Amino acid sequence: MKHTYDDEADVRTTVLIRVMALFFVGIMIIAATTSPIATGTKEGERAPALEGQFYNGVGWSDFNLESYWNSSWEEGDISGEWVVIEFMDTDCPYCVASAADMATNSQDFAGNSGWDGAKVNFIASATELDIPGHESSRAEIIAFRDKTADSGESCNGKDCASRPGSAHNFPYIDDLDQENMKKWKVSGTPSYYLIQPDGIIAWSSAEHPNDDIRDAIITLVPRAGVEA
Amino acid sequence: MDPNLQLMIYLIPTVVGLVLVLPIGRSLATPFSEKFPSLGSERGRVFFGLILTCLAGMAVSFQTLWISSKISEGGNFCASNSILSCDDVIGNSNYNTDPIFGIPWGGIGAAVFCILLYLVYSSSKEPNANWVTSYLKYGTYITFAGFFVIGLLIYYEIQMEKICQYCSTAHLANIAAFIGFLRLMRMNQGNEWNAV
Repeated sequence: MKHTYDDEADVRTTVLIRVMALFFVGIMIIAATTSPIATGTKEGERAPALEGQFYNGVGWSDFNLESYWNSSWEEGDISGEWVVIEFMDTDCPYCVASAADMATNSQDFAGNSGWDGAKVNFIASATELDIPGHESSRAEIIAFRDKTADSGESCNGKDCASRPGSAHNFPYIDDLDQENMKKWKVSGTPSYYLIQPDGIIAWSSAEHPNDDIRDAIITLVPRAGVEA
Repeated sequence: MDPNLQLMIYLIPTVVGLVLVLPIGRSLATPFSEKFPSLGSERGRVFFGLILTCLAGMAVSFQTLWISSKISEGGNFCASNSILSCDDVIGNSNYNTDPIFGIPWGGIGAAVFCILLYLVYSSSKEPNANWVTSYLKYGTYITFAGFFVIGLLIYYEIQMEKICQYCSTAHLANIAAFIGFLRLMRMNQGNEWNAV
């Protein structure tokens, strides 16, 4: 009986094994020397970029969320500054109602009152939802933030100056085109994210719909003499 | 080590591979043809250049994958205020993965160069096998498709106003590999395939 040996197939198999070995060596080196963290908006993921112009009480200028991050921060270190981001719409009834809590929280956790924990910076990203009656503008964002009297701007059908709480002292980002909101996959407003000083999302209201951002800050942000 | 100096580990083999797959590579290879007889023929020289290019392309792709992993940890590798800043490009979450599956571009590059290396290395081991013609065609098609990816990534770089030098080295490796596969495919179809 005649046997036909396929020497060519053997060459290809040998080469395949060698090349695959090389590939897996590369993968193993990367796996052994790095611990990649995915970029996303779930807890434990790295916060995506937040871009646009922000209003800080004086004028509009470029915003860079990355400027808040400190890559050398370590868990428990109270010198690192945390960030709370609120995605909101100046015409959304829940956002208007929560404006008082935002004002209180931003003052309480700013590090200059009775709070003995790490400083928490507050940022609002103001959008314009695709709902009739939610038409917004930069002037409306300013009126909402500063509670400008007689601005002529309407927030949820009322004068923006009449919204609950005091004037806010934290930056408001112009996201009227919803670009940031879509990038962060925000499904509704208001949505809150508590972010560690190294840019990792520690808490998201989307994953804790029944919890409050204030409780999340008290629970997660390290405090002097309290182990995290 | 300075990242631009480290880049030379990948860039030099890529450029040498590019020269070898071009007709001008003959003068570069001639002094070594006594020690490495395969470099004495046009086919052997292009095969060698192509293998070198694919290895360098695979290595630099792995390096970019490593950089993207390091950046995701919060570290940095080659951040710079100049236009050459691979951290800004590889670390930009809007552009650093493919838009369909979300796989890092470095991972795609490493896998593709691995396939190309398999195609060219197996063809060089058995150049007169009947499957070599197909393998060389596959290599040409894959590297040609790579031009569209390069175009997209250059568009991203223009958007960011930054250049990733490590990515550009991988792009150069793809261009060199395309030239090599194309030349081998034409040689294989002509009479010079078995010419000494």
